[in-house]
Amino acid sequence: MLCLSVPLKQVKFPSLREAHQGSDSLSVRHAFTSWGNRFHNLGCAREPRHRSSGRLQGASFDMSWLDRIVAYLKASSALILMGGLLLYGLWPWLPLHARADVPRTVVFYGFSILDHSITHDVFPAFQKQWRARTGESIDLISSFAGSGTITNQVIMGVPVDLTLLALEADAYRLVEAGVVRHEGWRQLPFNGVVNRTPIVIVVRPGNPKGIRDFSDLARPGMRIVHPDPLTSGGANWAIVAEYGAGQRANPADPDAGFKLLLGIWRNVVAQAASARGARTQFDLGFGDALITYEQEGLWDLAKGEFHGEIVYPRSTILTEHTLVEVSRNVSASERELVDSLASFMWSEPAQQMFVRNGFRSVNEALVEADTTYKRIEDPFLIGDWGGWARAKREIVEGVWRARVLKELGQ
Amino acid sequence: MSAPPPRAPGQESAPGPPPPPAAARVRQFRLPESLGPVTVLVLVLLPLLLMPLAAVFVFAFRGGPEAFVAALATRESQFAMRFSVLIAFATAILNAALGTFAAYVLSKFRFPGRGALNTVVNLPIAIPTVVVGTSLLLLWGPIGLLGSALEPYGLQPMFAPVGVLLAHLFVTFPYMLGSVKPLLDELEITYEEAAATIGASRWQTFWHVTLPALRGSIFTGALLTFAHSLGEFGATVLVSGNLRLRTQTAPLYIFAQFEAGNLAGANAVAAVLATLSFVIFFLLLNLSRRAEKPS
Amino acid sequence: MSILIEQVTKRFGAQLVLDRVSLGVAPGELFVLLGASGSGKSTMLRVVAGLTMPDRGRISLADRDVTTLAPQERGTGFVFQNYSVFRHMTVGQNIEFGLKLRNVSGSERARRRDELLDLVGLPGLASREAVRLSGGQQQRVAIARALAYEPKVLLLDEPFGALDVKIRTQLRRSLRAIHDRLRITTLLVTHDQEEAFELADRVGLMDRGRLIEIGRAEELYARPRSLFAATFLGSGTVLTGHHERGEARFQGLEFKLPHGEGREEGANAHLLIRPEDLLVSAAPPPAGQPALGTGAVIDQSFAGAMRRVRIRLPIHAEVHQASSPPSGPEGLTVDALLPSGDVLPAHDVWVTLRRWHFLEPPAASLLVADLGRGPTAPLEVARDLARGLDAQVTVLGVAADARESDQLGHRIARRQRRSGLSAGELRMRFGAPAIQILNEQAELLSQMIVLGPRAGRFAWFRGPRAVPPRRIGKTIVTLLEQSRVPVLVVIGPWHELLHLAVVTIGDAGAAGLLRAAARLARPLGMAVTLIEVEAAASSVLDGTRAPRPAAQDPLESAGVGIRSRQRIAARNLDEMCSGVLEVTADLIAVPVIRHGPQEINEVAPLVTEILSVADRPVLIVPTQR
Repeated sequence: MLCLSVPLKQVKFPSLREAHQGSDSLSVRHAFTSWGNRFHNLGCAREPRHRSSGRLQGASFDMSWLDRIVAYLKASSALILMGGLLLYGLWPWLPLHARADVPRTVVFYGFSILDHSITHDVFPAFQKQWRARTGESIDLISSFAGSGTITNQVIMGVPVDLTLLALEADAYRLVEAGVVRHEGWRQLPFNGVVNRTPIVIVVRPGNPKGIRDFSDLARPGMRIVHPDPLTSGGANWAIVAEYGAGQRANPADPDAGFKLLLGIWRNVVAQAASARGARTQFDLGFGDALITYEQEGLWDLAKGEFHGEIVYPRSTILTEHTLVEVSRNVSASERELVDSLASFMWSEPAQQMFVRNGFRSVNEALVEADTTYKRIEDPFLIGDWGGWARAKREIVEGVWRARVLKELGQ
Repeated sequence: MSAPPPRAPGQESAPGPPPPPAAARVRQFRLPESLGPVTVLVLVLLPLLLMPLAAVFVFAFRGGPEAFVAALATRESQFAMRFSVLIAFATAILNAALGTFAAYVLSKFRFPGRGALNTVVNLPIAIPTVVVGTSLLLLWGPIGLLGSALEPYGLQPMFAPVGVLLAHLFVTFPYMLGSVKPLLDELEITYEEAAATIGASRWQTFWHVTLPALRGSIFTGALLTFAHSLGEFGATVLVSGNLRLRTQTAPLYIFAQFEAGNLAGANAVAAVLATLSFVIFFLLLNLSRRAEKPS
Repeated sequence: MSILIEQVTKRFGAQLVLDRVSLGVAPGELFVLLGASGSGKSTMLRVVAGLTMPDRGRISLADRDVTTLAPQERGTGFVFQNYSVFRHMTVGQNIEFGLKLRNVSGSERARRRDELLDLVGLPGLASREAVRLSGGQQQRVAIARALAYEPKVLLLDEPFGALDVKIRTQLRRSLRAIHDRLRITTLLVTHDQEEAFELADRVGLMDRGRLIEIGRAEELYARPRSLFAATFLGSGTVLTGHHERGEARFQGLEFKLPHGEGREEGANAHLLIRPEDLLVSAAPPPAGQPALGTGAVIDQSFAGAMRRVRIRLPIHAEVHQASSPPSGPEGLTVDALLPSGDVLPAHDVWVTLRRWHFLEPPAASLLVADLGRGPTAPLEVARDLARGLDAQVTVLGVAADARESDQLGHRIARRQRRSGLSAGELRMRFGAPAIQILNEQAELLSQMIVLGPRAGRFAWFRGPRAVPPRRIGKTIVTLLEQSRVPVLVVIGPWHELLHLAVVTIGDAGAAGLLRAAARLARPLGMAVTLIEVEAAASSVLDGTRAPRPAAQDPLESAGVGIRSRQRIAARNLDEMCSGVLEVTADLIAVPVIRHGPQEINEVAPLVTEILSVADRPVLIVPTQR
């Protein structure tokens, strides 16, 4: 782009024709180098032209006049464009509208699939409730990305108050990094778990590949879209789900889980940074099957945008999503507000909203009341594997990273 | 008709039109011969450039104009676009001043280490923007070298608009410099010496003589900076914290919406951003072409 | 004085750009500094304007010392070769700029602007954009701009250099007219003689940082004092002869010219002949008219009313032609200017002098070549000689390349200070030492070259005949072969020069040698011993004859007494050499005789022998048989 820099050197002498036209026409087509000057001169009356006669001149007079208009339009359109843009950008901050005091804010980071349920349902409901209770309008700032990504950002110092992580393992990372002093989330209801959703398989409409269970995904030729375990919480859940399913199907064989995991990962063709990203990829036409949260499928189904079918494996894990308060970033004056928002998550209205958005509530009654949620034959929890601290160490690191990836030569 | 107008005594020369530049005399192929190569070029460019760009607009309008407007009307998208525009303006204005100053110092002053400094200021163009973001975080972030010192005073440039501005200033700095410095280098020393003998101080010379001569390139550089700032992603995504309604720029919004599967929302803003970029690009092209052919 | 320049010196690195330049320009005068590019004239102008700071010296404008003032405070008007009009301003804004800075009111500015536009011949163009004007018009704007705030002096740096010939002439006339009207003190720099002649009240000639000569144009052309002025301005031929008994003699030519008294006996005489001073005819000139002789027309060119004729005269003489056209070994080539109508035969035309002019004898000057290492004796001897001869000393350092030049320059400057030769001007060149020394000598017209014995790399020197090879510096060998002036090789430690031994070998070149010896011995008050080598062994020195008794004549006529006289009869080189070195002397003068360019004489073996075994300074005097 440096080629756009303009050498000033090209000072051309006026041509014979121009010399006869006098000052007016010359200035119109003058070099870009006195561009800004133009803006000044536009409104002003120009010097009278030298009106010497000559046929040649009549013709060129029109030309230069046209040129002038064109130049005028060009200059003014550029000005208007830039001015308009500036006005547009500043609009909300202009002192035209009466402005309330700057509202208090809570910064909330959530893992990817929470986006809609939080910003469209839970937040407005809480803001309404808070206003009803205290008369104060508050701003809820949010950001959504893969659970690992947001954990990293929180560690880097994003001034977040509350974060809803896809898995407890990420919460432990926050403790390790010193962002959260102890396992505070354990004091919250349900050990900090806000909602659940099982890991399922999403297949193309009509299930053309006849996929019924995780074991089918290990068949040669399957093309699987999977979130990336480095950044996505869902992916970590999925690995435990796949491993667990294998292990529970054949408890006698200590390597059964590893074999199933290897079989599935041999067929992974795309990894996205988050569960949401993986679903977008699947939507764009990648792969035969997508391993993701049930919520992903259900929510699209509810919107009528679902381009696939959900296959429930015989055994799978119920993911649990942990709410962590980053107390380091919460000032004393905000404490009550943040705590209220946190406890609001477990309130009946909020839980119903999660259910409406495809999450299985921690309140079993709410789930059973809803027929959308299919029964899973053999569900298991992370607790069955010794909790995330152990599962992360033994399954994700010990089996997937150390053995499966090695086997696949990655 | 009448005798040619008498010449003023000073007008001793009105040279005829200069001969066409050598480039104009290069052989140019006419239509029948050019058909083949042009077709090939278009066919190559089609999937590379043209169709992806078109796809953005197609997707943006797939849901009809109402859906397009609705996607643009959300509070988040409006904020993201406004925030981007404001940051771009701020970046362009600050870098116009900073870049011009840097170009002036690098071009007009002789000091040891000048060559090295010259390289360093152009470095951002070569560094991946993601690296710029990380390095800013490692310097200014709460756990960074300077950021950790600022932290106790409640100053936190990262994950705030200031952080985004810093990143954009960093990334776009060379564009301003690249636009102004060559011109300044070519400006003969006598130009400023003339002002000095006439009696202008260094500052007056800069203000009345040097700066006006640079006006065009400062404007071009600022526009270029503006355009780059509008589209900056790699560094912004890291230093902004991607906070909706606080630090989310338009490209970040597009990416977040894409990630979230809201293709319509992403494409609507993408289409607006693309259109804006086109306009600015044509403006630049037009300006630079005018500069090349003053008459 | 409106502009007073006193002893201004400026160096860029080791390069001396301005060398003690002094000049006064009277109020209202239009003074032109004329010189080739690189002569320092533009730097001089920039120093006056304050754009370049001098290392030493003083600048006064209107009797006010401005040496340390910034350009803004000097109130000069400066016009650059490249116009440098402010391109974003109109013509009017350009002119008014200086007035605006001085807070002159708008109406006054406009009045002054219109006045100046009329003056420079651009009426009504005030609102025109300056860069839209032609080059000539831009330069007019630049002049008006420089005059607007009524500066004390107007300085113009090659103002017409970038314009084509026709416009240049017009603008020149305009400038002269403007000057006639405003009478503003003006200093203009140009390399164009015609421009200088047409514009200048007075012209100053600059060469390699020095202001060589000042005068009205006609004076400088017709009666230059220096060789540089004679050769730089116009064309012509300069012949070199020497003074003898009130006459200038040009050996090999058939004439002697009466010449002013008070000239030092034996000193060089430079005769300038302009083409229009020559008379060319088919018939021999009347007796008494000095004639160069007959020659052949080798070239003619038509130049309007006049015709330029180039004639080659078959002269081998001591006459040396100092300026173009170059004379080759075939003889002397001169240009003459005659009416176009005159018809000439192609051969045997007579060339006669109609008018002539003698140049002033150049000030005595010594050239010392220094290596920047080794003994400093050459510098110390040069210091003594300079004091005794009242000569200027130039110290020359020859570096391998430009990069090394600065370093070497600093080293030599240190050595100069140590040797008490700080007054000597230091010059740097790079390339082959011998060639650079010869070039420098030719440009400075130094009368003697002083150097140590080991200047440059060693070379095995072989004389024209089979003699044992000697270890002598290659540079000295080259100088021996090519130098036109005496070369003093300072061997051994510094010693006060009290006794001079002059070695004559037969009568070969004796006259020239004795003349040179006299010119050295008299001002220094040296006692002279004359050593006459009898070349008995003709096998060693072929072709030398017995000395004539009149050999010491030049010494006596110069008033130098001969203390003693020795005669050495030797059978071979060794004997000859040891005989010479036995004599008590601080300096030994020996001749080198040349038949033609680079053709060394028969005594060279002795000279090289002496050089390689001598323990004291040796002066080598080139002479002709």
